[in-house]
Amino acid sequence: MLTRLSCLLALFASLLVGGVAFAQPAPHITATLVAESSRPAAGRAVTLALAMRPAKGWHGYWQNPGDSGVETTVAWTLPPGVKAGPLQYPVPHRLLIAGLMNYVYEADYAHLIRVEIPAGLAPGTPLPIRGNARWLACTEEICVPEQAAIAIDLTVGDGVADKTATFDRWRAALPRPLGDTASFAATPGAVRLAVPLPAAMAVADPYFFPLTDGAIDYAAPQAVSRNGDMLVIETKAPPGGTTPSAIEGVLKIGEGSGLLLTAKPGTVPAAGTPVAAAAEGAGGGGVTLLAALGGALLGGLLLNIMPCVFPILSLKALSLARSGESERTARIEALAYAGGVILVCVALGGLLLALRAGGASAGWAFQLQDPRVILVLLLLVAGIALNLAGLFELPAITGGDSLVAKGGAGGAFWTGALAAFVATPCTGPFMGAALGAALVLPAAAAILVFAGLGLGLALPFLLLGFVPALRRRLPRPGAWMDRFRRILSLPMFATALGLAWILGRLAGVDGMTLGLGAALLLAVALWWVGLRQARGRSGSWWPLAPAAAAAIALVAVIPRAPAVAQPAEGGLLAAEPFSEARLAALQATGRPVFVYFTADWCLTCKVNEKAAIERAEVADAFRHRNVAVLIGDWTRGDAAIGRFLSGQGRSGVPLYLFYAPGKPAVTLPQVLTPGTLTALTA
Amino acid sequence: MRHLIALAALTLATPALAAPEVGRPAPPLALTDATGKPVRLADYRGRTVVLEWNNPGCPFVQKHYAGGNMQRTQATARKGGAVWLTINSGAPGKQGHMTGAQAAAFVAQEKAQPTAYLLDPQGIAGRAYAARATPQLFVVDGRGTLVYMGGIDDKPTSDPADIATARNHVLAALAEMRAGKPVSQPVTRPYGCAVKYAG
Repeated sequence: MLTRLSCLLALFASLLVGGVAFAQPAPHITATLVAESSRPAAGRAVTLALAMRPAKGWHGYWQNPGDSGVETTVAWTLPPGVKAGPLQYPVPHRLLIAGLMNYVYEADYAHLIRVEIPAGLAPGTPLPIRGNARWLACTEEICVPEQAAIAIDLTVGDGVADKTATFDRWRAALPRPLGDTASFAATPGAVRLAVPLPAAMAVADPYFFPLTDGAIDYAAPQAVSRNGDMLVIETKAPPGGTTPSAIEGVLKIGEGSGLLLTAKPGTVPAAGTPVAAAAEGAGGGGVTLLAALGGALLGGLLLNIMPCVFPILSLKALSLARSGESERTARIEALAYAGGVILVCVALGGLLLALRAGGASAGWAFQLQDPRVILVLLLLVAGIALNLAGLFELPAITGGDSLVAKGGAGGAFWTGALAAFVATPCTGPFMGAALGAALVLPAAAAILVFAGLGLGLALPFLLLGFVPALRRRLPRPGAWMDRFRRILSLPMFATALGLAWILGRLAGVDGMTLGLGAALLLAVALWWVGLRQARGRSGSWWPLAPAAAAAIALVAVIPRAPAVAQPAEGGLLAAEPFSEARLAALQATGRPVFVYFTADWCLTCKVNEKAAIERAEVADAFRHRNVAVLIGDWTRGDAAIGRFLSGQGRSGVPLYLFYAPGKPAVTLPQVLTPGTLTALTA
Repeated sequence: MRHLIALAALTLATPALAAPEVGRPAPPLALTDATGKPVRLADYRGRTVVLEWNNPGCPFVQKHYAGGNMQRTQATARKGGAVWLTINSGAPGKQGHMTGAQAAAFVAQEKAQPTAYLLDPQGIAGRAYAARATPQLFVVDGRGTLVYMGGIDDKPTSDPADIATARNHVLAALAEMRAGKPVSQPVTRPYGCAVKYAG
């Protein structure tokens, strides 16, 4: 410690004597100036990049560095008439150190700079680009301001880009402008933002990086939820700050993918379905773990009243009350149930951790992203619903036969395991925050959170087992129980309906039909089982075998590609994917071409598509005049589309272009009506 | 309901910081100086007090000490009757952490002019003031009300050449207070290194 300090003091002293405080022999972040084209054309713009390479353990800062740090600056020395635009920053990462937030880059990154070359320069004119770049390089312990003279020599030429691939990769890391305006509402101590984002657009680990300083408390966690076509962010306001007139920032919606937006004061809808998010990159600590555990316990408790779990719990409680068994048996059964629940939760947590380790960015609803898992859950829930409806009897749930006779503990254990497994589709909405935290906690702590979830889920039944008074307050058994059981099948059927819907979203109409077909097959098989049970036959379960075989076959063949990601499915307008080559080819045939650029995260785009583009009258008019339709999907920031957009003077979507044969493109308004489109063909 | 749960989880997850606010009483301060003498903010009731968060290893602190800008600011403030408390919240083992003897040596070597150099190795005062950067400054008036918090000036760079053209927020605030005027820029953005708290 002392030697370290004396080193620092020695460094400090040498800096004082030297007077030049910032001479760095070997920078911790190297900066290199690169040009997309070494022969930029006069009168056009060329993109330069300041490529930054941090040494291991070092990080550079975003435009808004967070609680401390500074942004990167360049003082340019440029030939006359040449103008350099601002540094563009890629989407940053969060780095929380001892409770202070840093918005940083820990791996190689690049600032893009748009440089205008004046018109009228003769080819061959040298363009020496010079500058002095200053940035801050930090580790978790120390910071070093660094600077470098940056230079590149360009020559006026034909403007052909020679580093397109590298620059396209850098461009893809920049945030894309959100076409719509967000809104925010500030109350003392809290800020809420609403960002228009189509409900169908999936987001992973969303986080709002504010560009406006003093608008939000950087280190505070952000609660992100979806309410229809709005993404709602709730977080703390910094103390003593004044409410800004607008909040600018970047909404991260996936790894390295962000949307640049401006929020104006306005109304913010109520929070909707929480999204697993707002987990800090580092730090955490006991408080976070405790909160996550508490949240998990609470969430597990709440799961008991979810339609997909409550029927199982109620029936278990009913069977316990009915059996009139000894206290000891009741307790053992309660413990077995709790054990089953906790074990399945921990197993699911282990699976999630394994996926996390495998690099898959999986939220709690990770199962819901795989149509095969959804199909299995659909069949399971349909089976349970049919059981509750009385089609057939299941030993473990009704406690009516051999398993319970063998000993209640085994049956109770499996009921618990089933309850936990069935509960997983419901946890998404309830458990976002705690499970998001679990994803970034150390593995042991994460497992603890999952165990907490299981304990919460098992708690009511444990109480029933250990507090006989509670059990006695349950209604007396009677004929109403069967009726009640039948009624409880309704929420279970509703859950099956919901799963079928999710299956449809994931695997398309074909996948959903296959899934419903499998459910039908299962229903027939179970009906048969029920008939055999009613006749008191032994071995009544064999009709299930062909159904199971069919289900396994289906799991293998069900389409896995998310059908929703296909842009507009070509469908009504027989649209094709956009490319400049395709556009040129269509124009060469003399056909009129309608081109539209869209993205799944662009609400205006989706509204226009629904209200104006994908309409029968538009399709008729287009077919009548043989109009070709091209769709450019910019959801993932496709670089070729990005270049075309900027060539049209646009930074983002939506963009609607109509090419009449032999005429220049007409840019249509951003808000379309069917009339605007049909008029094109008039 | 879900919304409430998420918020409850958030509230629990956030460390409890008694965040300071301009126009409200400044958080209490009780530390020891470089010689081990206890110093409390309340001791200086009736006088203007400037708090300066310091880390001698931070290049942004060095920017203002190397050319004498911080020392001049301290001298000017004290000549105008203010008390200047320099505070080090660096945790042991972290950059810039100092013992009392080292702090006294730093003050002597830099010809610094604080009324006292206070040691806060556990970060208690730093957390109470939500100090996030070095240098970061606070001004408390004679009634104990926080009247300024933020950076030393408005040029957030590491280049000492920028000091000459920057607005020194602390001197501006002190001048406005002496003239009986409200502080025109009561909250600014501090810039520099993160405070090296424990943990």
